[in-house]
Amino acid sequence: MEAPVEKPNSRRSFLKSAGSLSISSLLGTAALMTMSDDARANMEWAEWFQGNYRLMSEEEKALARARLERRYSREYGKKVVVDGTPAQEGVLMGYALNIKKCIGCRRCAKACVEENNQSRGKDQEIEWIRVLKMEKGEFSQEKMNQGYPEGLGIQVGGNAYTPVGDVLEGEHYYQPDAVPEKDAAYMPIACMQCEKPPCVKVCPVRTTYREADGPVVIDYNWCIGCRMCMSACPYWARRFNWSDPNLPKEAMNPVTHYLGNRPRMKGVVEKCTFCIQRSRQGRYPACVEVCPTGARKFGNLLDPNSEVSRIIARKNVFRLKAELNTFPKFFYFMD
Amino acid sequence: MKKPAFLPAVLLLWFVSLANAWAEPVKCFESRKGASEVTQRMIGEDLPNVKCSPKTGAVLWWGNPFDGTVPMGDMPIQDADYTRGKAVVKPRSDKLGLLPLCGNSCHTGSLPKGFPTSKDARELVMMHQAIVLDSTKLPHGRGNIWCLDCHHSTQRNKLVDHRDKPISFDQPQQLCGKCHGEVYRDWREGIHGKRIGEWASTGTKRWFVCTECHNPHNVQHGDRNRGFAQHQPEKAPTLPKGMKTADHERQKH
Amino acid sequence: MDKLKRFAVDYVTYVVKGSPAFYAWIAFLCLFILCLLYGTYLHAADGLRYTGLTDQVHDGLYLANFVFLVGIAAGAVTIVFPAYVYRHKGLHAVAVLGEMLAISAVLMCILFIISHMGRPDRLWHMLPIIGIYNLPHSMLAWDTLVLIGYMLLNFVGGFYFLYMKYTGQPLNKKFYLPLIYVSIVWALSIHTVTAFLLNTMPSRPMWHHSMLPIRFILTAFAAGPSLIILIFLLVRTRTRLWIDNSAIDLLATIITYCLGLSLFLTLSEVVTELYANTEHALGLQYLMFGVHGFTDLVPWFWGSLAACVAAFTILLRPSWRSNYRLLAVACALAFSGIWVEKGMGLLIPGFIPTPIGEFTQYLPTTLEIFVTLGNWALGFLILTVLLKGAIGILLGDIAYAKSPQGKTTSDAAGISATPELM
Repeated sequence: MEAPVEKPNSRRSFLKSAGSLSISSLLGTAALMTMSDDARANMEWAEWFQGNYRLMSEEEKALARARLERRYSREYGKKVVVDGTPAQEGVLMGYALNIKKCIGCRRCAKACVEENNQSRGKDQEIEWIRVLKMEKGEFSQEKMNQGYPEGLGIQVGGNAYTPVGDVLEGEHYYQPDAVPEKDAAYMPIACMQCEKPPCVKVCPVRTTYREADGPVVIDYNWCIGCRMCMSACPYWARRFNWSDPNLPKEAMNPVTHYLGNRPRMKGVVEKCTFCIQRSRQGRYPACVEVCPTGARKFGNLLDPNSEVSRIIARKNVFRLKAELNTFPKFFYFMD
Repeated sequence: MKKPAFLPAVLLLWFVSLANAWAEPVKCFESRKGASEVTQRMIGEDLPNVKCSPKTGAVLWWGNPFDGTVPMGDMPIQDADYTRGKAVVKPRSDKLGLLPLCGNSCHTGSLPKGFPTSKDARELVMMHQAIVLDSTKLPHGRGNIWCLDCHHSTQRNKLVDHRDKPISFDQPQQLCGKCHGEVYRDWREGIHGKRIGEWASTGTKRWFVCTECHNPHNVQHGDRNRGFAQHQPEKAPTLPKGMKTADHERQKH
Repeated sequence: MDKLKRFAVDYVTYVVKGSPAFYAWIAFLCLFILCLLYGTYLHAADGLRYTGLTDQVHDGLYLANFVFLVGIAAGAVTIVFPAYVYRHKGLHAVAVLGEMLAISAVLMCILFIISHMGRPDRLWHMLPIIGIYNLPHSMLAWDTLVLIGYMLLNFVGGFYFLYMKYTGQPLNKKFYLPLIYVSIVWALSIHTVTAFLLNTMPSRPMWHHSMLPIRFILTAFAAGPSLIILIFLLVRTRTRLWIDNSAIDLLATIITYCLGLSLFLTLSEVVTELYANTEHALGLQYLMFGVHGFTDLVPWFWGSLAACVAAFTILLRPSWRSNYRLLAVACALAFSGIWVEKGMGLLIPGFIPTPIGEFTQYLPTTLEIFVTLGNWALGFLILTVLLKGAIGILLGDIAYAKSPQGKTTSDAAGISATPELM
């Protein structure tokens, strides 16, 4: 038995580095709780007047994040970090999913909610990942001659076939006692982080944009809630906050990124960011870590030794709706 | 800003969290039921070591992916480019149920006198039948292997390689990879299997070893679908406004 | 400057005075406007949670009405175009009413967009310089540009005409005519761009075809003049302003052509989509027959088709068309038919199924319906006021010469009371 050694790295050190980057670490939560109403009002006004995050100077960005940290810490009663780590040079984030290995357990969808501070509860439940169940279908001997027109010899079409592997025929709300079910395949769908994202193109205020390291992000404070991006997305990856999100204090994840999982407000759109608050700190996205079958893979597309690069090199990969030329950085593959 | 309706909800949640503080520590399973388990605790202010699914008891989120891990040690690699020393695993030896039970007899590593040391297949009576009912019909390897092809014949706290060299339970890949070569190669390169931690190819990762996900004693059981043991799924998403059921999804055409 | 001030004073004094019927109408509209105010308050306080919208069907009644009303705004060009390009006398006399309609329709569009948006308080983000205006990429940015531009063109053109008429000065052709010609082309652009807003998204196959812009324009040139004819008939009976039969007849002819062509395009779409019956036709199937037991829109589709066919049948026979009672019925049918077809009938099936195949239903909530009615009411209030003012000036009821304050000066100037362009 090897002697336990010092942990090479830990979540804790991620937290520390994230915390030290932001100036809010100078401010204690207690000080925030005692803030006067006037100061709070001023803070909210300042947030309302702030510009587009992408165009802010470094100082303005830090200020905007500090402002949010103060507000969130007050609202959620804990020390909230709003990170602003920018894209790292030489990194292009990519994702691969082994479609053969997905068992439809939906742990990815739930882990995503734990990590990314989505609204939960009956009123407004937001999940960024949708897992589809697809029937294997059947080809039946009895139905072979039940085509149309019936009994006239030549048939225009038949009915011996039921849809197999048809995305538009998937079940979204399957709820068996155990998965994987017999004769079913599963297909998880979330944001594809397209290289040519249609959602970014249609945004009238450029609040959603592609970051240099790949993910398509949203400045929630700049979004006007027009929902054009939701219409334009061919993967149904975007969700809208129809009301203020319902995020219980104790469930709130205090390690956030400005462009990632910080709590959203009513009337804005949100989506998967490859867990930017984690991935920019080197950590796998939450859905990758939780997948019990290891179907989900994540890494740097520019690094030939990364898991994703090896998969693309070695396995048969495909992209969903490739004909739309959105060039997703989310690959499906098979062993 | 706050709606009065929120207040009872917040209070309720507060009580629930209080009740949790007094309750038994929550144990969750990491990848499949019956394999690695972890007890929920706080590892920092507002930072639990894991968050678990209230429905299935599965770990959904790791506060620290390297909690309780040890270096994986040497892995015979040629083309795999994993950074030595940055691969860690969760030790399984001390967690395997039967090891402490038998105390000082078989599983300490020394075989008491009189026990058969032969590797020939034989029926084990009154022994390990909870794991494999009939040792001559091991549901793995289609009749070609039995217990002592994988377990060391004299050191029962170890696995074994082809040359009778013992292998730690923490590194079953050295054993499994001998037959499942292609899967082993994929696993070494990060294509097969589960890892948590840092995504960079040079980063620190906790590697889930073969037996954390696969149970080698029942791979050919009939209750599997597509080769997977069945799991309880997490809750379906909430139906959109105005929808009462999702029956329409199941009654197509 | 003094004249302009007097114009404003006279105009406002004139439009706020009216018969009991006028006040009753205003009060009736205000009732719905109160609903709008309450609804807007709820939207502002709690977001859009009280609507029937979901992540699956995230654009509903509000956007549907927006799309339809852009058509009405564009439809106003059916007055201006014959009036100035073909020098149609009957229409020329009342062309300014078309401009007033265009202004109100664009304002209604803006009202509906504000109801539709999740964060109307952040609209300033779209302003150039202080915000970001995503040109040339965003179709919504283009649409905003052309809509605001169209409103300004009509505002300037309309009120310049009215002001000149008010003061009795002749129109400056060099200024006025280019304005009119630009606004004619611009009218086509607003509806084309609104079509581009929807049909440039391959994620929604229901909309993704190049026929959409021309279909939008045809339906606009059917629904717009239908509303105008109804307004004209009302104006003829309720005010002293006489609108020539020739004007109404020409508009009726325009509706006939455009409605016929739009029906043809509907048929083309049905054949094109349903013959091959790919997955891309699921939206249309849902609209026409229902899918997986979801049939909410089916009666609306067939009802709208029936209304349009009936209107077309009436319009097709010149003898029926010239019977203004029947014509009014036909116009009402065409207007409501197109409202359904182009609004809910076009928008909702674009979302069902979702791009990843989920079928849901969308049902507007009571609040949504009342906010919609409120927006229409506010729009009609603006339209009433604008039309009343314009008619007052056309009749000569509001004139600088008659102005109680300005009598002496205008007499001294000796200006004729009726400017003529041509």
